[in-house]
Amino acid sequence: MDSFLNLTTLVLLPLVGAVLVALTPSNSTQLQRLVALATTVATGVLGVLLCLDFDGSSAKAQHLVQTPWFTLPGGVPVHWRLGLDGLSLLMVGLTSVLGPIVVLSTWGHIDKRVKEFMVWLLVMQTGMLGVFLSLDLVLFYFFWETSLVPLYFILGIWGGERRLYATIKFFLYTLFGSLVMLIAVIWLIQQSQSTDIAYLVNYGGKLPVDQQLWLFGAFALAFAIKVPLMPFHTWLPDAHTEAPTSGSVILAGVLLKMGTYGLLRFCIAMFPGAALVASPWMMALGALGIVYGAFLAMAQTDIKRLVACSSVSHLGYVVLGLFALNEAGLRGGVLQMVNHGLSTGLLFLLVGMIYERRHTRALDQYGGIATVMPLYAVFFVFAVLSSVALPGLNGFVGEYLILLGTFQASPTIAVVAVSGVVFGAVYLLMATRKMLFGPVTHAANKTLPDLGAREVGLMLPVVALCVWIGVAPNMFLDPMKGSLADLDRRLVSARSEARSVQLELDRPAPAGLVAQEEAR
Amino acid sequence: MNAEMIRQMLTPEAFAATAPFIALCAGILLMLLVEILPGTSSLRPLVFLGSLAAALGFGWTQSQGGETRVFAETYIANSITGWWTILFVAATLVAWLFGRRYYKDESVFEGEHDVLLLSSAAGMVLMAGARDLLVFFVGLELLSVPLYTLSGFRRSRRESVESALKYFVLGAFAAAIFLFGSALVYAGTGTLTLSKMGAGALLQPITIAGAVLVAASLFFKVSVFPFHLWVPDVYQGAPSPVTTFMATGTKAAAFAFLLPMSLLLPKDATMVLALIAVVTMAIGNLGALVQTDIKRLLAYSGIAHAGTMLLAIAAQVSGGASASEATRAIVYYMAAYVFTAGGAFGLVTAMEGRTGRAVTIDSIKGLAQRSPLWAATFALFALSLGGIPATGGFLGKYLVFSTAVEADMIGWAIAGILMSVVALGYYLRLIVAMYMQESTSVETNLESRPWANAMAVACAAGVIILGVLPNLLLERLG
Repeated sequence: MDSFLNLTTLVLLPLVGAVLVALTPSNSTQLQRLVALATTVATGVLGVLLCLDFDGSSAKAQHLVQTPWFTLPGGVPVHWRLGLDGLSLLMVGLTSVLGPIVVLSTWGHIDKRVKEFMVWLLVMQTGMLGVFLSLDLVLFYFFWETSLVPLYFILGIWGGERRLYATIKFFLYTLFGSLVMLIAVIWLIQQSQSTDIAYLVNYGGKLPVDQQLWLFGAFALAFAIKVPLMPFHTWLPDAHTEAPTSGSVILAGVLLKMGTYGLLRFCIAMFPGAALVASPWMMALGALGIVYGAFLAMAQTDIKRLVACSSVSHLGYVVLGLFALNEAGLRGGVLQMVNHGLSTGLLFLLVGMIYERRHTRALDQYGGIATVMPLYAVFFVFAVLSSVALPGLNGFVGEYLILLGTFQASPTIAVVAVSGVVFGAVYLLMATRKMLFGPVTHAANKTLPDLGAREVGLMLPVVALCVWIGVAPNMFLDPMKGSLADLDRRLVSARSEARSVQLELDRPAPAGLVAQEEAR
Repeated sequence: MNAEMIRQMLTPEAFAATAPFIALCAGILLMLLVEILPGTSSLRPLVFLGSLAAALGFGWTQSQGGETRVFAETYIANSITGWWTILFVAATLVAWLFGRRYYKDESVFEGEHDVLLLSSAAGMVLMAGARDLLVFFVGLELLSVPLYTLSGFRRSRRESVESALKYFVLGAFAAAIFLFGSALVYAGTGTLTLSKMGAGALLQPITIAGAVLVAASLFFKVSVFPFHLWVPDVYQGAPSPVTTFMATGTKAAAFAFLLPMSLLLPKDATMVLALIAVVTMAIGNLGALVQTDIKRLLAYSGIAHAGTMLLAIAAQVSGGASASEATRAIVYYMAAYVFTAGGAFGLVTAMEGRTGRAVTIDSIKGLAQRSPLWAATFALFALSLGGIPATGGFLGKYLVFSTAVEADMIGWAIAGILMSVVALGYYLRLIVAMYMQESTSVETNLESRPWANAMAVACAAGVIILGVLPNLLLERLG
């Protein structure tokens, strides 16, 4: 590929767009929107092109760009090192595709301070791509923490009534986890004298398991808060509910995936020994999250909050699959990250569209929408079916693989998780019935206009992807083969190491030594 | 010491080593001359800036060169003192430029104001180069006495006078403690020059007692628990340009000497220092949470930042992290802090100068709509103070905590770094007020001060450059 069209360009392109938007005169909102759209389209095209030009059989990072950035005390060089591998491929693709969709979705609901909004949106795009593409630990942390700032502004300025509470909670909560991780990052760099993630992956696997466990804990805390895993989830419903539609879409679509991606790239790949020890616990938390999130969602009367709680439940599946630590689970987990981004993103878009028309999110304010807005109903039902994992759509493949992997690892947990599938169908279908079907009970709903061309247009690519993944999942699963096989190899060797240590411990002490001891 | 010995000491190297100090002193004398000569007052800024520029140039030269010890090893010039000099000049410039047209009633005394500012800067340079307790003391007083005066410079305001009095009384007390401590150190080691103190003598109880007292008086200057109580009142009451200068320059100068001086402390002091550091962070951050006056809020935040840097000192005292590493971390941290806190206090100065009223959280509500440039830069400074990446504050924080981890003080490091979460609580509140709340104030656009605008941009540029291109400074710190 042309030398200019590399990952650095991909990461920095949105930032350049942000500067361009900032330079436009502040009253020409249309121009700002167009510049933002053009930037995200260009980023999207470049991102997809780079993802297509990928050799899935190799575990090596591809399109690698690497330049020295600065030197830490102790002479450890930090690099601007970006690369695409099987673990990040789908995430980068997802981020690239969602960019223009999010910009388009703002046409409807962002009409004040458009310029600032577009700037933050584009900065965010850079931050997210940076997180997924960084192959240098310091660079990763750099992007990881910076990406908090744009969402903080988006939530705080364009959010709902309780936006200030939600945005500060979101920021402090996630920062808390990140800072503990920072200490682990510092320690790891000092021990290994390297910031290269490819090197650290080998290095981390060789550390004694108790050290691995500490590091695992510090990293996992940061990622678990971001995901969010069950006991750390309380910031998410608030943030989702208060965020503007586009903020919710980014949050659900990409930002939360940074957490699961981190679990995969660091907690599992870098500290496999610890991951094996922690696997039952993490799986239990995942399964608990599935059921708990489903119950939370069932109790909601606010449609947006309901979708937010369903996020907690769906991300439980991802964690469950990843920590099954077998091929099926890992494949399903990674695919489900994309699926959740698409289906939940779609649901948030739809919730936003009806909110723009009716300015309420209360479920009981709706009913019979299908008769007024038939096109809307079609999309809504599609999104719900994709979310509840109807066979033939994307969610099914992911959930099936995850449950398969979980069953291989622990049948008990699989049983708990399967119950979540049922609950998930219950609350989503109940909500659909309340919103779309039955008689039109509120006069205000009778005159709602159906979806416009822009709204249909921005959802079509997502719908197409949902079907595509559902019908031909191997196109998306195959490129991860190399990386996941490599990961599997690490896990196998960590497992055999753990077993040999166990044997060592179980073996009775030689008789002679015991006798000597006693003689003393 | 007779005249012959003194003559022998006055070598070209001695002049080269003290050149920044001499440049500032020459500036002071010239300024005083300009004051008494009729019709030359327009030269005043020229002399002021000229002497700072000369000091900056000499500081830069030193920062590129090797180490020289002069005056019987009581004074030192190396790349680190060179960088400290550059930082002091930067702090002075930031305070002075932001403070243009700040004084209205007291404008008659502008000459005196600038002379005092320069004297204080000269004191800082002396403090950074000193490797002898007595030389340091001269620098300390040269720094402090002008600051006492400057704090009370707005004579017509009660808070200003109160601030000066508080600062003076407590400062004099700290100076006395310093002298007493030096006397004890002298009794224990037979010398006041750091390099001549024998390792054995350092372990005597009397020396340790003296070193602890000296350290305590330095803690007063850097505003570390339990000697931090004066900070909020003095910072709030002093004229804002002086506060800007105090918050950045004084802190830097005291740390510049605390670094070599803390090597007198025994290893056992590590835990105490770490504890003090973490308690200081806690007190500073928790105190700042409840403030509504921005100057007071930033004062408390400054206490917390002093605590953070003290952690690097503790790591150095423990022997786990090398002295050069701790020095590098603190110089970098201070460099970021000079731009960040200097910019933040500077913007407060500019706002106060425009409206004549104290700047509070209420008064900056909706600032993003009224003064977008000031709001954006102030938000950047807040994020840098909170240590968010892409700003100098993050790298400073990284380096400091890196020394702590190096010294195996992981528990302390985690305790300290979690204080950042509390800190972000109030830094975010500033951004919330500026960006996410509606304006309650009548002033429309405040940005009518070209100097303040230029300085805000310059400080913001400094913060970002230190955040994304750290090698520009880090590589040069040896």
